[in-house]
Amino acid sequence: MATVKVSEAEKVYILHGIRDDLRVDGRSCEDYRHMEVETDVVSNTDGSARVSLGHTAVLVGVKAEIGKPRPLVPDEGYLEFFVDCSANATPEFEGRGGEELGIELSNTLYRVFNNKNSVDLKGLCISAGEHCWVLYVDVLLLQCDGNLYDAISVAIKAALFNTKIPRVHMSSDDEGGKEVELSDDPFDCVRLSVENVPCIVTLCKVGHRHVVDATLQEKACSVASLIIAVTHRGTVTCVKKVGGGSLDPESIFEMTEAGKRVGKALHAPLMKLLQQEESLGKKREKVGFLG
Amino acid sequence: MPTDTKRVRGPEVSQSPSLFDCRPSVVPPSHGTRADGRQRDQVDVRPVFVRCGLVSQAKGSAYIEAGDTKLLCSVYGPRETERKDETDMKCGRLTTDMRFAPFSCPERGSWIQGSQDKNFSLMLQESLQPALCLHKYPRSQIEVNVMVLENSGSVQAHAITCASLALADAGIEMYDLVLGCSIRQDGSSYVVDPTYSEESNWSSSEHQGGLTVAFLPSLNQVSGLQSDGEMAEETLTAGIRTCIEGCYKLYPVIQQALVKAVRKAQPPPPES
Repeated sequence: MATVKVSEAEKVYILHGIRDDLRVDGRSCEDYRHMEVETDVVSNTDGSARVSLGHTAVLVGVKAEIGKPRPLVPDEGYLEFFVDCSANATPEFEGRGGEELGIELSNTLYRVFNNKNSVDLKGLCISAGEHCWVLYVDVLLLQCDGNLYDAISVAIKAALFNTKIPRVHMSSDDEGGKEVELSDDPFDCVRLSVENVPCIVTLCKVGHRHVVDATLQEKACSVASLIIAVTHRGTVTCVKKVGGGSLDPESIFEMTEAGKRVGKALHAPLMKLLQQEESLGKKREKVGFLG
Repeated sequence: MPTDTKRVRGPEVSQSPSLFDCRPSVVPPSHGTRADGRQRDQVDVRPVFVRCGLVSQAKGSAYIEAGDTKLLCSVYGPRETERKDETDMKCGRLTTDMRFAPFSCPERGSWIQGSQDKNFSLMLQESLQPALCLHKYPRSQIEVNVMVLENSGSVQAHAITCASLALADAGIEMYDLVLGCSIRQDGSSYVVDPTYSEESNWSSSEHQGGLTVAFLPSLNQVSGLQSDGEMAEETLTAGIRTCIEGCYKLYPVIQQALVKAVRKAQPPPPES
């Protein structure tokens, strides 16, 4: 992960501030930075979203392709995640430097979505055992200023909301074989329900308190963080401890409770924003990357 | 798509015969006693067999057997860092590597994808790092290699226990042993130390998930935590408490194995 070097005096300053619920930029311990979400930014994808959280910028593109279902679950489609840490973000990611971080992020995403309810996989099936939709979710890190998991999960939720899968139906051709036919209307498509897609909240343990949405400086002062993926109903789909330090069981319980609270509160405004953006349709002003 | 470039797999069109099995797969029942006679909703871990010092060439090693799960761990180090540019002047580095033998899982090699192996190694490293006194080994590297010989459930948890035992056997200074315990939540009941069939069968109940915890018993610190599946927050906190209890149950056995190994290596002076 991109790191900054923080002096001892700065660490003490940050620690004392957090102890009194006042962070360096004036936020309280459970406040997020300014977040911007915009969907439909890349026209070649079936769904895309751009999220910028403070100085962290993430771009997600979703492409739907027809593939063969997995042998053990022939009546379900599946998702494939890939996270690319671009060298734009920090020179540490040049060449294969960002590969380790990318693999860690995509493995966590697989774990977060590894349950029946997040995405309706049965709805992605076209014909059992033969064809199904495979959603390739590709995440691109453009700028890295801490709190990657949160930004990525919000971007994935927005991109899946924006995804338009073409409507197909099976038809049998002359010899009795089956064929997949695309409908003639290019705007006839299926949308995904993202109600149950979880959002990830990262809580960093700094001193005796925990902070949500830590910047790189705050991360340098913490020994361990807890990642928790929460759905809008409050169910937890993944909990992971990251970092080289250890946590007290009591702090873990406190942090999961705070994470669940913060995560649950994130879903409603996000869905409202996405639906508002959708309803503007063509009249929406596109901000893009330079806005 | 993550691909596995290290293993030799069969031809693309070949499939495991278990897919063509006519008998319906036996879903373990969610009530009553478990298949191997242990109780649900109680901290009933499998009895473990542990031995240290099996690999003569390694600085330290340990072998653990829990039910049918068999793991071997060897520790090399502290030795000079291989890559000079990554030498840390102030403290040592810990590298972990966890591999599955191709015959360890019911499906040959195909159950684990290349990048998911990395996931296990990463959790192992994060769980062991808080327990080691790495500041006592500057400019050095300690390598921990875990090999899973048979995967019959709860592999991550036992790997953590085995690795910390091997580190102690190697004489690396540690603050405490790290013990691992895992639990599987299935609707309203839970099973501790699940077997492979209990881990991989997804029944249709609302809340299902698995949780693995790495714990330092005498310091009362959690050094590793990983969960997946869907769980309510209360079940998560209850699950963590249960895993901690499971670790406390395992502690005396591990301590005894370590004492035995030390006694064998250096027999106490005879009473004169």
